[in-house]
Amino acid sequence: MTMEELIEELKLEIIKTLNLEEMSPEDISPDDNIFGEGLGLDSIDALELIVLMEKKYGIKLKDASEGKAIFQSIRTMAEYVSKNRTK
Amino acid sequence: MCIAVTGKGIVSAIGIDEHEVWQSIMDAKSGVAVPEYLRTSHKELLCGEVKRSNDFFKEKLHIAKDKILSRTALFMIYAIRDAIRQAGIDDEELHRRRVVLVVGTTVGGMDLTENVWATLDSEPDNVKILLHHQTGDCTESVAEYFGFVDESMTIATACSSAANAIITGAELLKANKADIVIAGGGEALTRFHLNGFNSLMILDKEQCRPFDGKRAGLNLGEGAAFVVLENVNNGTKRAAKVQAYLTGYANRCDAYHQTASSPDGEGAYLAMTDAMKSAGLSPSQIDYINAHGTGTPNNDLSESNALRRAFPDAIPPVSSTKPFTGHTTSASGAIEAVICIMALDNGYVPQNLGFKSADDGCITPVASGFRTSLKNVMCSSFGFGGNDSTLIFSSAPTTGEVRHYDLHSQITVAGHHKFTDNGEIDEIKQYLKPAEYRRMNQILRVSLLTSLKALKNAGIEKPDAIITATSLGCWEYTEYLLDQLATEGETTQKPSYFMQSTHNTIGSNIAAYLKCHGYNTTFSHGEKSMDLAMKDAENLLVTGQCKNVLVGCHYETSPRLRELMHRLGVDNLQPLYSEAFIMSIERT
Repeated sequence: MTMEELIEELKLEIIKTLNLEEMSPEDISPDDNIFGEGLGLDSIDALELIVLMEKKYGIKLKDASEGKAIFQSIRTMAEYVSKNRTK
Repeated sequence: MCIAVTGKGIVSAIGIDEHEVWQSIMDAKSGVAVPEYLRTSHKELLCGEVKRSNDFFKEKLHIAKDKILSRTALFMIYAIRDAIRQAGIDDEELHRRRVVLVVGTTVGGMDLTENVWATLDSEPDNVKILLHHQTGDCTESVAEYFGFVDESMTIATACSSAANAIITGAELLKANKADIVIAGGGEALTRFHLNGFNSLMILDKEQCRPFDGKRAGLNLGEGAAFVVLENVNNGTKRAAKVQAYLTGYANRCDAYHQTASSPDGEGAYLAMTDAMKSAGLSPSQIDYINAHGTGTPNNDLSESNALRRAFPDAIPPVSSTKPFTGHTTSASGAIEAVICIMALDNGYVPQNLGFKSADDGCITPVASGFRTSLKNVMCSSFGFGGNDSTLIFSSAPTTGEVRHYDLHSQITVAGHHKFTDNGEIDEIKQYLKPAEYRRMNQILRVSLLTSLKALKNAGIEKPDAIITATSLGCWEYTEYLLDQLATEGETTQKPSYFMQSTHNTIGSNIAAYLKCHGYNTTFSHGEKSMDLAMKDAENLLVTGQCKNVLVGCHYETSPRLRELMHRLGVDNLQPLYSEAFIMSIERT
């Protein structure tokens, strides 16, 4: 899977997991901030993303603070997934 | 009117009677340890577990081993038995007088349910265990054990459930609706909520460290505690030894977020200041505060800010006793109330066990216990959804607020809406942005919509109080998580579903939308819930505590649940029910 494919897959997964029903993948730029300005997600969404990483890619984060750097944007997330995925 | 505590009973990780509990506190001995009785694979998650088996309690209570009773109910029966013994009320008096049992619990019979959920089809006999699932079933089984209870009720406001049970009990005595009130709460550890809290990543792998700079979350605990409340001027012939007086209390709402506390701790601040007001006490007269102090970064910071606001001149000695007991969730309000009464009685401030390093943002708690004279102690409990309540116990009655009952004015329905059509659900989009409703499941959307329409109907923007009746809360997500446990085992649960699985999510979701910081409670006692909610609203109105109250009745079931209950001959469950009333009082 190329980085671009992974980015597209992550967009779809995020829309599904976080129930962003009014959004489509085209609305999300891979370099948008996921939290705060940008997608406007919050700390509960961060927890959902941590569960997504575990269930979908077999990556276990130890605590929520680790997520901060990883979840900056879809691109940083994709880079982390491609390096650390176990499935 | 003086509400006196004449008896108390406690079951917790640091002892199953008050002497054991107090000895552990004096010895600085924590009960937080590796879980042994809970069938969990998470041995790394330390818990404040009661180190006794269900069979131990059944034997002590002369209950047949094969009788189906939740662990929650067993703890509660054991604690109540001690409380009544201490109050010295004999059977004759208990049967003659009006005894009301007010229970705070959220877990209810979940410990039974989660053990059979995977085998309901392969072992059809297991289905009947579901009749013990609901919080109200749990309360009824406790009442049935004692036989002298005239009325029982259940309050489920998550971690403030027991504190709110004590408040409701006191109001019943003041209104002369009861002679003797047994109030408190109980909660047994379950895989369901241990894994749920774990998925929220707020569990400390070590013994929890409330208010500490290195705090990393909470430890879950279990247990039960109850107090016997009486109006000491109400003609008892018995020379009751008064353990303490319940001189003040307040139930307020943070109205901020489903799980997080607001940065300024508004709900906690209001609960503490209004409790002092009701007791007629000034901040300088509070001698000790047993804080909610869970050990999560968010709670302790928010609570510290609330404490600074409520005690601007000087903050009295504060400690959280959760490093001893773990966070006993729905039971914590009563467990900590009993600890407060023992502190008052013994003239001893319990330590905030394990406190080492101060945090810039937090208050500095009591690092070592010490002897001192205590007159008034405060006990705070804050729940998910910002259901924040504070109790004040005193060694002598105070000159606090006096309730005046306006029994001549007419209570009227100022607004009403009943949900009838599934197509209506989408109307919520007229009120909320997608980001606001995307996490709300069906019952949360419908209950909010029904409430907003009833308010509009009454021409009221914001009610003074919100009272919710629901027997199962958000069942859709509860069932999803039970299925997940049954099929995947103890894997990480969906965090946003777990957050919404507590019964009080419905009422606190409405409060957060309306920014309603007033009284907020949830009755979860089966079909009786709405009747209890209405009576509670009536009390708020006739005592002048509120001018109008939003009372809602919100139920949700699933096809699977209806099919299971059908096997048990229960066929009256509706998929979705939501009705809201704006009750108000017309002064004459």
